[in-house]
Amino acid sequence: MNLLITSAASATAQLIAGELSGAHTLRLTDLPENASGDIVAHELGHESETDELLAGIDAVINIGYQGQSGSPAHLMDYSTRRMYNLLQAASDAGVKRYINISTLRLYEDHEENLVVTEKWRTDPSAEDVDLLNAHIAEYVCKEFARDRLIQVVNLRLGWPFVGDSSAKPEDTAVISHGMIGAAVQEALVSEELIQWQDIHVQSPIEHQRFNTNTAARLLPGLAGRLSS
Amino acid sequence: MKVLILGGNGMLGPWAVKAMKDRHDILLTDINDPYPEYKGEFQKLSADDIDGVVKAAEGMDVIVNLSVLRPHRQLAFDVNTMGNYAMMLAAREHRIKRVITTGPHFQMVGQQYEEWDHDLNPDMPPAPGTRLYAHTKALGQEICRVFSKRHGIQVLTLLYYNMKHTWNLGGPEATPVYHDDMVPYSTAWQDCGTAVQAAVEVPEERLATKCETFFVLPDLPHAKFNNEKTKRVLGWQPRYHVEALWNKDHRTPPSGLTEAF
Repeated sequence: MNLLITSAASATAQLIAGELSGAHTLRLTDLPENASGDIVAHELGHESETDELLAGIDAVINIGYQGQSGSPAHLMDYSTRRMYNLLQAASDAGVKRYINISTLRLYEDHEENLVVTEKWRTDPSAEDVDLLNAHIAEYVCKEFARDRLIQVVNLRLGWPFVGDSSAKPEDTAVISHGMIGAAVQEALVSEELIQWQDIHVQSPIEHQRFNTNTAARLLPGLAGRLSS
Repeated sequence: MKVLILGGNGMLGPWAVKAMKDRHDILLTDINDPYPEYKGEFQKLSADDIDGVVKAAEGMDVIVNLSVLRPHRQLAFDVNTMGNYAMMLAAREHRIKRVITTGPHFQMVGQQYEEWDHDLNPDMPPAPGTRLYAHTKALGQEICRVFSKRHGIQVLTLLYYNMKHTWNLGGPEATPVYHDDMVPYSTAWQDCGTAVQAAVEVPEERLATKCETFFVLPDLPHAKFNNEKTKRVLGWQPRYHVEALWNKDHRTPPSGLTEAF
C-alpha cells in the first residue's frame, strides 16, 4: 500500500515507519521546521498543495499524540485546523482509511481496577497540552467519519513504548515497538471495521491495565499476541 | 458584575450590550471598532490573541464570547476554536467562575439530527459533522467542556440559528418571506440579546452541572427544537415569536375589522 505518515520526524512516526517500511511504500511528511532528509516539508494548509500530498495514497497514518511540539497555540492549531485540512484532502482524494495514533493516557485518571474498554468516555486533562490535543484530534477525525467521508481507525496505544518486553512493574499499560507496528499493520488491512473504530492496544503483561479484547476481535493477526 | 465581551461588534454584540449595559460593567472587545452609538469601554482585541485575552480578563467576573467567523478556513479555526481556548486559559488564569460562549445550533445538531428528528434538545451529544462553521464552533465548545470539567468553570453555551428583525422578520442576509417553509429555529435579535443577559445573571444553584447548553428560540409550533430548558433554567422569556412567519392569520385582512363579524 501507499501510505502517508504525518509528523514524520516524531519518535512515534519513526518507530511506525521502521516497522512498516518493508511491506509498504511510505511517504513521510512533517511541518517545514521539523522536516529533513526524506521527509516532505508540508504546512498542511487548505490550498491545493495538500491535495497533491495525498495523491495516490491508500491510507494515512496520523500521529495524533505527541507528533508535534511547541506552544499550546501551535499544538491546538495543528490538532484542529491542519487535521481538518488533511482529512478533507484525504477524503477528496478517495483515501480509504485514516489511522489516528492516539493514546490510552486519555484514561490515565481512571483507577487501575476499572475494566476500561473502548466504550468508556475519555477524560482528557486540560493541563497536559499533549493530551488535550490528542483528544481534540480524535474529535476532528470522528466528525469526518460521522459524515462518512473517510473511515477512521482510532488506535489508542498504551504507554510507555519499550523496545523489548522489559517493562517496569508499574508500567501496567506498556506497549512494545513490535506490538505498535503489528497493530498499525493489522489496522491497515482489517475488514472488520466500522466507519469510526476505536481500538485499544497494549502489550500483554501481568496486571495489564487495559482490556484489549476489541483488538483481538477486529485485528485477527494480532490476536495471538494479545492477552485474552 | 464586570463582564468581558469578546467579539462584541458583530451582529449579536449590540443586542447583548443593549440588554446588559445598565446592569453590568462591560469591557467590549473586537477587532473592529464599535458602533458609534456605543459609549462604554472598548479595547481592540482579537479573540484568538491568547495573551491579549488573558490580560483583558483580569478582574472580570464573567467572559462572554460572541466572536464568530465563518467562511475562511484559517480564520474560522482561529476565531471559533482558538478563541474559546484563549477564553478558557484566561478564565483559568484569573479564576473566573463563569464563561458564556455562543454559536450556531448545528455545532450540536448536525444534519443527521436535523433532517430526521424532532424535539431536539440541548442535552444531546454534539454531532456537528464537518461543515466548517459547525465543526470549528463545536471544537471550541469541546475545549470549554474539558476545561469546565477539570477546573470547575461554569460554561454556558447559547446556541442560535436564524436571527430576525422584529420590524419585518427579515434577517441580516435575506429579505423576509412570509408563510413559507421557515427555519424552525428563528429568534428576534432582541431576544438573542436578553438570552446573553440571562446567562450572565442566572444563579449558580439553578444550573444542574458546570457545563450547560441552551437553545435560544421562541415557542414555535414545529416542535423541531425544544426551548423548555432555556426558559426554565435561565428564566428567559422571548418577547417575540416571529408569528407572521408561521401563522397565516397574520396576513393583513383585506376588509379591516369586518372579519370579527
